[in-house]
Amino acid sequence: MPEKTKRYSIWEKLKDNLFILGITVPCFLYLFAFLIIVLFYLLKFSFSEGLPIISILSEAEFRNALLRTFWFMLIGTPLQLAVGIILALLVYESFKGVSLTRSLFLIPIAIPALVTAVIINLLFSYPFGHMNDLLSGKYTFFPKILELPLNFSGTEFFSIGLAMLGKVWRDMPISMLIILAGLQTIEKEGYEAAQIMGANFYQRFKYITLPLLTPAISTVLILRSIENWKEFIFPFVLAPAYPLLGVLIDRLYHVQQNPYMAGACALWLVLFIGATTFLFTFLTKTVRAYLVKV
Amino acid sequence: MVKTILIAIVIFLIIFPVFILFKYSISDRDSIVTGGKYPEPFWPFNPNLKMFQSLLVRNDFLQSGMVSLEVGFLTVIFCLILGVPTAYALTRYRIPGTGVLLFFLLSIRLFPDISAVIPVAEQFFKRPLSYLPPVVLVSLAHTLLALPYAIYIAKGVFESIPKDLEEQSQVLGASKAYSFLRILTPLALPGLGAAAIYTFLLSWNEFVFAYFILFQGTDTTLPVYLLRILTWSPQKNFIAAISLLMCIPVIIFTFAVQRYMRTGLTAGAVK
Repeated sequence: MPEKTKRYSIWEKLKDNLFILGITVPCFLYLFAFLIIVLFYLLKFSFSEGLPIISILSEAEFRNALLRTFWFMLIGTPLQLAVGIILALLVYESFKGVSLTRSLFLIPIAIPALVTAVIINLLFSYPFGHMNDLLSGKYTFFPKILELPLNFSGTEFFSIGLAMLGKVWRDMPISMLIILAGLQTIEKEGYEAAQIMGANFYQRFKYITLPLLTPAISTVLILRSIENWKEFIFPFVLAPAYPLLGVLIDRLYHVQQNPYMAGACALWLVLFIGATTFLFTFLTKTVRAYLVKV
Repeated sequence: MVKTILIAIVIFLIIFPVFILFKYSISDRDSIVTGGKYPEPFWPFNPNLKMFQSLLVRNDFLQSGMVSLEVGFLTVIFCLILGVPTAYALTRYRIPGTGVLLFFLLSIRLFPDISAVIPVAEQFFKRPLSYLPPVVLVSLAHTLLALPYAIYIAKGVFESIPKDLEEQSQVLGASKAYSFLRILTPLALPGLGAAAIYTFLLSWNEFVFAYFILFQGTDTTLPVYLLRILTWSPQKNFIAAISLLMCIPVIIFTFAVQRYMRTGLTAGAVK
């Protein structure tokens, strides 16, 4: 009977691949179970009684946090890209001690984010810290700028700015490594040919480096914008009075004991990240199409 | 010339904060409590190691250090047991839909930590998982974060080892499991060591999940302990000493696995 042989062969196949199944299934099951749990709870909380996902939109707290996070992302992402490009260009061509320099440039990633936040907290402490002493002219080598010490964590601009400073400082090496990998794929012949034909530095950068670097740039932009949206530790430590979305989620969950609102906020964050990723992918594709002329 | 100056500036910007942390950790009282009469010195008046000495006999600090170590090692064990065989299967066998599976591996990381932590914490606070000790719960959460990276690194390691070795052993009559354990694993150990270190560091540094899961308990990992200390507004040298002790294993290990870090850092790039 044909049916029986078919079943038999599937059983045989299973038995043959039992080893592979046995070693892959637990891992995927574990990840899959948590993926379902995350999705399930986020949707359950967001669409529970009173539709927190809609009602949170009218909360002033949420709107302020959203606006702050949006600016944080919009300014932080290009800033991190620029820093990454500068660092990568500095260590791209080899010189004496290039590998040591590259290693030194990797130090920030070795410092835990929480510790980086602590360092910034120490440097910018109020009323007396290195930065305040510097700005009020207590060191002989720097002019006096401030009359009174400045409470950095008391103003929205400075506390969010410090959080961004921490983020940029700590994640410099990541952007640098991606850009560096992109630069290393560009072949030297193109530059030589352009130079022979009389292209200057700016033209070489615009017509060779930039178009060929766009994949790396787009990777950095997308990864960094995701990172900036979801940033938690730096604003949590440095700007607790002016919550970003991540800090707001923690506050809704722990202080206000409202997992429904927290879940709704968390789901919105996921949606914003999705939208930004889509937008950046589209934008970089368009720019690339404009830069690369065939 | 411009380039040299720029490099010097960048190196200064990178070294200076680390130096400041070190400076505070060995500062005496006069160097941190200035009362505004004189500027904070860039080198303490009487450098000493008192803070480290007092920390190393502090019970709550040692306790959190132990918790961090336990969580780290458990996470490494979970990740290796779950991840290494999977990476092996993904490199050595033609599994239909490997691309989809690889994307799926990363899909949990597409959720921001701060969003994913709420469902995970809610699930962990419910029975039957809530019966598990908090240390195990935190390491289960960390496994979730580190597993995709561990698999990507292990996959890179296995791809670099020629398949012929296993085939030859199988021709000689070894089973698939035997050739995996006795032929491949010894060859792959150095690379897998890098995966283990990467996993350990991720767990050692991880804050969000540990903070949510340990929120009400008495156990704390080092980052959570550091945060709790921060809320008391402690002396600068105390907080700096804790931070510095927390950094040391990270700095040592990071430079040990620099070569493999790149895989881990850019693994998300294919998202």
